[in-house]
Amino acid sequence: MTVPSSPASAGVPAVRCRSLGVSFGSVRALHRVSLDLAPGQIHALVGQNGAGKTTLAKVLGGLQPADTGDVHIAGREIPPGDVRAAQAAGLAMVHQHFSLPPSFTVAEALELTAARPGGRPVYRRAELHGRWRDDVAEIGGEAVLSTRIRDLPVETRQSLEIVRAMAAEARILMLDEPTALLTPAAIDALFERLRRLREDGVTILVVLHKLREVAAVADTVSVLRDGELVLGPSEMSEVSQGRLSDAIVGPASQADRAVGVEAAPGTEQQTLLELARVSSRASAFEPGLGSIDLSVEAHEIVGIAGVEGNGQRSLVSVIAGLNAVTEGSVLLGGTDVTRAPPARRRLRGLRLVPFDRNSEGISRRAPLWLNQSALRLIGRRRRRLPLISLRQYKRKAATEMDQWRVRYDAVTQPAESLSGGNVQRLILSRELAPGLQVLVAAQPTRGLDFSATSFVRRSLRGLRDAGAGVLLVSSDLDELFELSDRVLVIYGGRIVAGFEAPYDRRAVGDAMTGARR
Amino acid sequence: MTGGLQRVASTILLVGVSFLLTALILWGSGYRVGDIFSGVIQGSMTATGAATSSIRWAIPLLLIGMGVVIGFRAGFFNIGGQGQFYVGACCALAVSLRWSDGPAPLVVLCGTLAAVVAGLAWSLLPGYLRVRFGTDEVLTTLMMSFIGALVLQYLTAGPLRNPSGTGQTAASERIPEAFRITDGSGVSATVLLLVGGVAVLVWLLLERTRFGLAMTLVGRNPTMARWQGVDVRRVGLVNFALSGALAGLAGAVELYGPAGRLVTGFSPEVGFTAVVVALVGLLSVGGTVVAAVFFGGLQSAILFLPIVTDLPPPALVLLHGMVAFLVTVKFRAVRLRRAGPASEAPTG
Repeated sequence: MTVPSSPASAGVPAVRCRSLGVSFGSVRALHRVSLDLAPGQIHALVGQNGAGKTTLAKVLGGLQPADTGDVHIAGREIPPGDVRAAQAAGLAMVHQHFSLPPSFTVAEALELTAARPGGRPVYRRAELHGRWRDDVAEIGGEAVLSTRIRDLPVETRQSLEIVRAMAAEARILMLDEPTALLTPAAIDALFERLRRLREDGVTILVVLHKLREVAAVADTVSVLRDGELVLGPSEMSEVSQGRLSDAIVGPASQADRAVGVEAAPGTEQQTLLELARVSSRASAFEPGLGSIDLSVEAHEIVGIAGVEGNGQRSLVSVIAGLNAVTEGSVLLGGTDVTRAPPARRRLRGLRLVPFDRNSEGISRRAPLWLNQSALRLIGRRRRRLPLISLRQYKRKAATEMDQWRVRYDAVTQPAESLSGGNVQRLILSRELAPGLQVLVAAQPTRGLDFSATSFVRRSLRGLRDAGAGVLLVSSDLDELFELSDRVLVIYGGRIVAGFEAPYDRRAVGDAMTGARR
Repeated sequence: MTGGLQRVASTILLVGVSFLLTALILWGSGYRVGDIFSGVIQGSMTATGAATSSIRWAIPLLLIGMGVVIGFRAGFFNIGGQGQFYVGACCALAVSLRWSDGPAPLVVLCGTLAAVVAGLAWSLLPGYLRVRFGTDEVLTTLMMSFIGALVLQYLTAGPLRNPSGTGQTAASERIPEAFRITDGSGVSATVLLLVGGVAVLVWLLLERTRFGLAMTLVGRNPTMARWQGVDVRRVGLVNFALSGALAGLAGAVELYGPAGRLVTGFSPEVGFTAVVVALVGLLSVGGTVVAAVFFGGLQSAILFLPIVTDLPPPALVLLHGMVAFLVTVKFRAVRLRRAGPASEAPTG
């Protein structure tokens, strides 16, 4: 299974593991994974959600003991689950979630969390800043040292995680899905940093989701599927995109069919969602809306493009009824709902796929059935008795989750036990139930793997074909172009441009960055 | 259900450890632990009238504890049961003394209603502050408890004081015997039916209504509940109102039941013990019933012990404190563990 890397790197592999196996209960997370990573290269690790990428990264980093097999870092054997030994051998990790304390300044956070030798218990501010000045030269220089972590933009926080990881002079850097939260421009900058680290001789293992990103940055690629290494590490030049996606998806799992969704009957009203000169207040993160005019007709997907933080969140919140409108009106199916609470909008057929599926879309600790049933809690009562049958709720939830192919063991398990793609299926199974008139989908495929992404996209198309209206907010231009009948660009809280197919990528990009007003 | 069993087992273990630690401390202080524990058994179960006394003390714990369970279900730590209990009892007392010549059933009904409304109002103020301004309800409900205790003190020492009373502590006049729903033992079929009915209703509300499920959602993740169209503020207000109403009801039951009059600072820790009861009862209705009977037994034993040993009553309150401490630690640990790594909400 292991393909020896290029003959040029005949020395000791930076990372070597042999027949690693890890199981969580009955789930096989890794099975007989053997891997050699040549030094001084950027290695990409790809695979679907739940394929075992994060587990492999954790085992290599000593954060997760393997049940079988062994790990060598720079020629030294690492005892199972020994983080310190892995660090001592020169390995550093950047995790999927940000780990720096939000209320600390950059200098404080680095001093606290980075394993740089020679630290003292007490510092004067100037000394502390002097100690970290050089490290932050590339991400804003000394000025950034006194900024609080929570006030930093997402991409700077990401860069800071790398600074932290590299502070101990690491020779091997592992990054777990570093691109998930970044804008395209920030991703380019990240890749540039990785290339520079490679020039300095650092070996990099990066877990990625998108093939385009793999092609952009990686020297070699390895593919995990269901816990097994099915490809690689192979030189990027020797693998075709087609072979890669086959390796990732596998032969059998193409089975998802498009899901037809029944739209509510009798939708004579053609304009399903209308915003007329809507303005709102700015939030801590975003500008408010400025006189937005927008409409979504039946049988239509309207895309909203924009650099993140330009009012997308305000827009969706205003439609959902979570943020107040200062001016203008919001109409659902021709009815004015400007002042209506969220529940009344939901009952009028508004459905939402929120930005952050784990905190806004589901309750992680609540059981699956309750997550699935949430919309049934707000409708009008049909019977006189207020009592309900939990068994009926659970059965209904199970039926709908099965229909959407959510993979789960029991309806009583907490939602946090599902993988990202499955969580999104759970959300769709709830939001796309009959009665839907308009769907507002915010970043519906962010962080999802190939098959889950294409499943979500097929579902949105199915909705449109069935007569619903969809407002799609996404930072993935390819997705917007592929799905939307029209694309509007939001910039600084205003709709600054509208486009129809065939889309001019350049023109949309100009509008997004404010180059064209 | 193995997870559930495990939780029950670990809670029983905690209570056992608390007993052990208390025994150690008492033994170290030179008491004869064997005598004390046999006294506890007698005082809570085997002595004449001990079982009834245990039930009598379990009743207010159960009613207030139900309110705590409701609060926790929606994520609120409403620990103001003591004050709500006091103002409830005070209002029932005021109604009963002002209208002492009225028809007994009607007066008791009105007095009970007044108690429920008073407890509700006492809880709704912190509730409003919480949902409107995000004020920490732990602080406000606690502060309101102190105010409630002062209201009681003022009434029993002032307007409602029994002028012929000679006791050292201020007490109110007795309400007419006709208004009493139990004898001095504090237990009667009426009260047991009432309390049983309340427990069943609370269980139905929490486990078998859409509002109960909505409270659960709000308690687990209010952001998600808002996105799903749940009116989080309304849920919060109703939640605080229900908790307070139950504590107020407990005040009325206390007055019309065993007390018959109010004494300054009566049942001083029942509202706080009720929080421990709810936690030991794993925040479930059934568990809280069991825990209330257990702590009722302890309370009964505390009052009985001075008869058979030279142990001062506060010594057993130590046991309460120990259980409260360990249960809180465990509860916090579970919460922290479950919270896990906080994922950052991307701005977008």
